[in-house]
Parts: sequence; C-alpha cells; structure tokens
Amino acid sequence: MRKTFQTIATILLFILLPGVASGDISVSLKLDRSEATLVDSVRLTVGVYGTRNSAAKPILNALDDFTVTPSTTSSRLQIVNGQVDSGVDYTYFLQPKKTGTFQIGPAEVTIEGKTYRSNREILTVVESTQSADSDPGPLFLDASISSAKSYVEEQVVYTLKLYRRARVSDISLNLPGAEYLSFKQLGKPVEYQSVHNGRTYQVLEVRYGLIVSKEGDYSIEPSRMNLKLFLPKSHSPRSPLEERFFKDPFFSITTGRPMTVASQPLKLKVIPLPTEGKPSDFSGLVGSFQIESRLEPATVKAGESATLTVFLKGRGNVNRMPDLKVPELDRIKLYADQPTLTIEPDARGLAGTKTMKWALVPEEEGLYEIPQLQVSFFEPKHRQYKEIETLPHSLTVVPGEDKAIQLSLVGPANGGSTGVVKQEIKEIARDILPIHTSVRDLEAAHSALPGRFTSFLIVLTPLFLYAAAFLGIRLRRKSVATSAATKAKRASKAFLKQYRSGGLSWSELAELIRHYLNDRFGLSLGSVTAEEAAVILASNGVSSDATERFRTIFQQLEDAVFTGKGQEPCGTEEELSELIRQIEKEAR
Amino acid sequence: MRRLICLILVALCFPLAVGMAAEHEHWEEVYFQANQAYKEGRFQEAIDGYRQLIQSGHGSGHIYYNVGNGYIRLNQLGKAILNYERARLLLPRDADLDFNLRYARDHIRDKVPEVRNTMSIIFFWLRSLTLGDLFWAFAVLNALFWGILCLRIFYRSEWTYYLILTILTVWLITGLSLGLKWYRLALDDRAVIVPEEVNVLAGPDVNDTVLFKLHEGTLVHCERSEDGWVLVRFQDGKRGWVQADGIENIRI
Repeated sequence: MRKTFQTIATILLFILLPGVASGDISVSLKLDRSEATLVDSVRLTVGVYGTRNSAAKPILNALDDFTVTPSTTSSRLQIVNGQVDSGVDYTYFLQPKKTGTFQIGPAEVTIEGKTYRSNREILTVVESTQSADSDPGPLFLDASISSAKSYVEEQVVYTLKLYRRARVSDISLNLPGAEYLSFKQLGKPVEYQSVHNGRTYQVLEVRYGLIVSKEGDYSIEPSRMNLKLFLPKSHSPRSPLEERFFKDPFFSITTGRPMTVASQPLKLKVIPLPTEGKPSDFSGLVGSFQIESRLEPATVKAGESATLTVFLKGRGNVNRMPDLKVPELDRIKLYADQPTLTIEPDARGLAGTKTMKWALVPEEEGLYEIPQLQVSFFEPKHRQYKEIETLPHSLTVVPGEDKAIQLSLVGPANGGSTGVVKQEIKEIARDILPIHTSVRDLEAAHSALPGRFTSFLIVLTPLFLYAAAFLGIRLRRKSVATSAATKAKRASKAFLKQYRSGGLSWSELAELIRHYLNDRFGLSLGSVTAEEAAVILASNGVSSDATERFRTIFQQLEDAVFTGKGQEPCGTEEELSELIRQIEKEAR
Repeated sequence: MRRLICLILVALCFPLAVGMAAEHEHWEEVYFQANQAYKEGRFQEAIDGYRQLIQSGHGSGHIYYNVGNGYIRLNQLGKAILNYERARLLLPRDADLDFNLRYARDHIRDKVPEVRNTMSIIFFWLRSLTLGDLFWAFAVLNALFWGILCLRIFYRSEWTYYLILTILTVWLITGLSLGLKWYRLALDDRAVIVPEEVNVLAGPDVNDTVLFKLHEGTLVHCERSEDGWVLVRFQDGKRGWVQADGIENIRI
C-alpha cells in the first residue's frame, strides 16, 4: 500500500512540477575523459540548468577537428530539500580526426533572446598505441596475413578479427584500397569465443583472398570498421527516488556510441615470377593445380558420340584457369560444351574446378588416339613452374548401323542439305574478344573532332558565303538603279544643252527627243511616235496641258520628217525649252 | 636568293619533321609493348602501357577498350566496365566492345533495371553516333543548305524549293541531335563503382546509417560532392552518399 502511494506521489510530482520548476539559467559542458586516442569516441554532455525547454539546442563551437554525432536529449527534474532543480542534458559523441590538444567549447544556448555560454574543456588526442601486454579495451580489430612475402598473382589470406566484450551493431567495413591489390571475401564471417590476455572475447572473423598483380613492397593500410558500441550504463543515483526508478531495467537501456576501430597496418613484399624455366605457353596460373580426364565410352559405333571430360582443379588464382582446346582430329567431329567454373572459397583461400567437355563423333571405324591436353602453372610452394597433362585416351570405333546418320554428319559435300537436322546454335563458352592491335587505333585519337575555332569556321563559312553572295547581288541591283536615276537627272540638261547649241535638223531633233524620253524615264525605245510620247508623259504624272503641247510639237516634228524636210535645220524655239523644263518639274 | 631561302626552310623543317616522326615511333613502340605484354599474360604491365598512351593524348576508343580487357583479365570488373564505357563514348558502334561490355555487365553483382527516358527513345540514333559523327554530318548538311540557298539567288525553280525544304528538315534534326549529344557529354554524370563493395550511407559521414551496398561495376549518377563524399543516384531512384574514392566518373 505504502509502495503504491509513493509511486502515485512521484508520478503526480512529475506531472505538476514542470510548470513551476524554473530558476536561474546556466549552461555547463562536460567530457567523459580528458585524453583519448584517434579511434576513441568521447562523450560530450551539455547541461542546461533552470529550464526544461528542449527546443533551445546548444551551438557547439571549435569542433572542426572532430566528427560530431548527436545522441540523446534528456530532461531532468530533481527535488533536494524542497529545492526544485530542472534542466535538459544534450549528449554528443566526438570522434577525433587528428591528434593534438583541443579546447572544447564553449557551448552556447539562446533562451528568450538571451545567450548563455558554458565553460570550456581541454581534450588531448593521441595516437592509438597499444602494447601487446596492455588491455586493449572492450573492442579492437586485429589484421593478419598468411605470408609476408608472395609472388605476383599468388593468393595470400588476409584475416580480420573483431574482438569485443560488449554488444555492437551497424557494422560496416572499409578495406584498405590500393592499386594492384584485389580482395575477395572467403566465405561468410564466423563468430566464436576466444581468450586474449586472459580475458574472454567474442570474436567476429572474416577472411579475404588477397591477390597482388604487380611486384613491389606494399604497405597495407589499416582496415576500418564503423559500428555502434553498447556499453552497460554506469549510473550513480543521486537520490533514493532516482535509485528506485533507475533500478528498473527499462531505464538501464543504453544508446549506442558510434565507434571506428582500425586494425594495424601490414607489410607485404611481392616478388615477380621467376623467368627461369617459364614455359612458352604459361597460362598465368599461380597456385597448386591438378588435371583429370576421362573418355566415355571408349568404344563407339561410327556416327555415335563419345564424351571427353577434363577437370582442371586447384587452389590459387582460379579465375585465370584457361579454356583448353582439343586440336582438330582427322575424321572425328568435335563439339565443345560450355566450360563451367565452380569457385569454392574456404578458409585457406579460393579453390575451384573448371569442367570442360567435348563430344567426339567419329565418321569411320578405326582406332583413334586422343591427344593429351597440357596446362602450365607456377607453384609458389616449390618455387617452380609445372606442367600437367591429361591421360592418354584411345577411342575404338566400330562400323555404324545407320548409314544415313553418318552421311548427314559428313555435311553438304556428301549428303547435301536434304535430311540434315538443323540445331539451335548453342553457346559453348563465354569469354571476352581480344584486344585491338592495329597502329591505326593510335591515329584514331586525333581524327575525332576539329578544334573549337576550326569547328566554328567550318559551320559559319557557308553562311558567310551566302551572305556575301546575297549582299553582292543586292548592291549590284542598287547600283543599276542609281545609274538610271543619275541618267534621268541629267537627261534634260543634256537635251537643253544640245538643243540650244543650234544647228540641229528635224531628224536630229526627233532623235534627241527620243533619247531624252529614254534617259528621263528609263526606257529603251528604238523609235517613238507623238502618241506614244504623250502616253509616256501622262503615265509619269505630267499634266495634260504639257502633255498635249508636247504631243503637238512632236507631231509637227514627225510631219516635217515624213514630208521630206528631215535634213533641213529646225532652228531653236524657246517654247520647247520651256516645255522640257515644265515636264522636269511635273514628272515623277 | 630564292634557292637559298628554300634551303634554309628545308633545313629548319627537317629536324622538326624528324622529331615528330621519332615521337610517333616512340608511342607506337609503347603500344606494341603493351599489346605484347597482354598477349603474354602480363596484364598489369599492358594496362600501364595503355595508360601512358592515354595520358600522352593517344587515348582513342581502342586503347580504352584494351584497358578494359586488361582489367577483365585481372578480375577487376569495376575498372573494366569504367574503361569500356569510356571506349563506348568514342566507339559507339564497335561490335567487339559491345560484346565485351555485355560480358562484363553479366558478371556484376547488382541487378540494374533498364531505364530509358523519352528523349533516348525519340533520339534513338544518338547512342550509335559520336559527337564527331554528328558534327561532320551537320557540317555537310550546313554546306548543302547554304549552297542551295545561294543557288536560289541566281536560279529560282520549283525543284530547288522542295530540295531546300528537305535539306532544312534534315539540317534541323541533325543540328538538334548535335546539340543534345554535346549537352549529354558535357553534363555526363555517370560513374562506376570501382571497389568490390561500397556502403551507401544516409549522409556524408562514416557514422551515418548504411542504406544499401553497391558492388563493383554498377553504374550510378553523381548528383553533388561534399568533402570527399559524393551523393549518388542508382537507376531505380535509390540515393545515398559514397566516399569519392569508391567511384570514378566515366566522362573523359
């Protein structure tokens, strides 16, 4: 009963007090340690006292050298001797990016327009130095390689072990990246228990096959594992009430602390394969390999098929296992099946088997020797090249019963296309096509696109040519029109000058008038009558009076010419001069 | 005097021509050695030789193709696909390249959905043409178009009218294709995952949540980069941050 009463009273306090609980506001900054290594994470707590308003987030200063991960925000309410103390705690995790001594803070909180600053803390970050005897803590990553010295393309096993004494989650692994190194995971990670320096650890082990494609001294950088670490909360209750609450397992749930653990760097010396004893047809295989073969059945009828099966298996760079080829056999047709490669990684590295099959169809009876197939490889264990070959096989062929089938297999030369069963083309093997080796491939690099200036020139030149042609024509037309206008302008002057100079016959005057009309109105008439002249003047805006007078004068002129007075002098009359001047004024 | 000037010019040009020929021979030698190394199974040496050629400005599509072959032999699918894709920018109609790229893609671990946008469907021919092909086609049509316009200044007839309409249509389509191709190449944001496996995170920080994992050879689109991290988009719309050294851009 008493216990129930206490619980109800506590709940009531929590519900009712927040509104009244307020006091002087202050901010404090705390670190859970003053010294850390590069792989540690440091808990930073910013406590805001005097308010339970969690909306005012602190601003953290001078943390450029750390990766900051916000964690939890918790409100606090405490009553000690009737004094109400409330606040909000903001928790962050800092992961150092470099070594040195750093001043952390101050944290700033702005509440109701006023900014409050916290104290500062000093944090020293040092390199992770762990001696073999020292306690490596609840979590560490260990890396090892099966051999510190290897040949090019030889497989080395790279093992990573994560030792832990606490719960972890969200594990992600970053393997060291370097040119010429190739990692292949060997099976799934395994978990087991192990003892290290007298302490029991849960170990997560993952293995990789490491193949280096070029000789040299390699420094394998540390592998890094990012994870969340859950450590049991070490809480010291400050009051009996708090003790009551925090004894409950619900409140002892911890939030994960982000961590990065790094393994130690490793050295690997990679030496080239020896040139001495290297076979001319060396396949590039490095490791230990065997070859097996079988021919089934060993006796067949002509036209029936036997199967030659070759198994190339071993341990090493199994991806390089070549596709073997059976040379062409006289009077035997060969049908190769698609080779299959089965890779079985285990704790010792990559192992695999390549299975190659051929169907042999003999055309005639007889005893056939199947040639042996060879593969060369380098065995690092004995430091020498080895050649392995299949067993010798003989195929005995007895006369066939069905001649028709035999004929159809021989092909169109003997049997024609009649009766041949068409088959789907079956893909026997898969591989890439070879490299391009023509010297022209080098030149192709230069013939793609011209330079920017040349490109513009190529594109714009036709446009410019068109514009030039267009403008040229326009200018030419304009110059013709201008010369006609000039001619028209000068027509009256030329007429009057010649007319006033006197001495003109009637025919010459008629010719002069025709020239005047041609020049003045841009015409090219060979002859003109008085009626035509009147029409030309009227159509060019000359008044009817002037037109009529001109027609009359021109008619008299024509009469004089056609009555035989053409060669007689005509004299100069002021009326014609005045009439021309009037036409000049009125004509358009 | 004229003969003397000619002699001086020849004397000046001769060493230059000899020097150029010697340099060309040097690169040919590098090329032959790389080819030989490939044939003898020294694939890393072959790749190093081809890379030298690329760095010296001899990076034709064929050289990128050969580099891709070298990486396939070294079982490095990511780098192989990266170089095949680069080769495809320069050799879009090479049958060998198509075959080998398909082979490499068949071996990647991530299932990549086939996504083709509307523009790719309309301008389907862009995949098979290089920028150079389109430029030269446009240059020829451009010359034809303006040439026939010139002809029409002097000689106007019905057939030139219809010819000019036809050429104008093809000229516009080619010009549009050229512009689109240039735009695509200039803003090519495709990249290839190079390591065997990379974590794609929710933010540019190692402590962020791992959203999913991508494997070598998978094609992604880069959206932006930030402090050694790149925001990538996978074909099906998934997005996340990867470390910049985990991907390599296809753009040459």
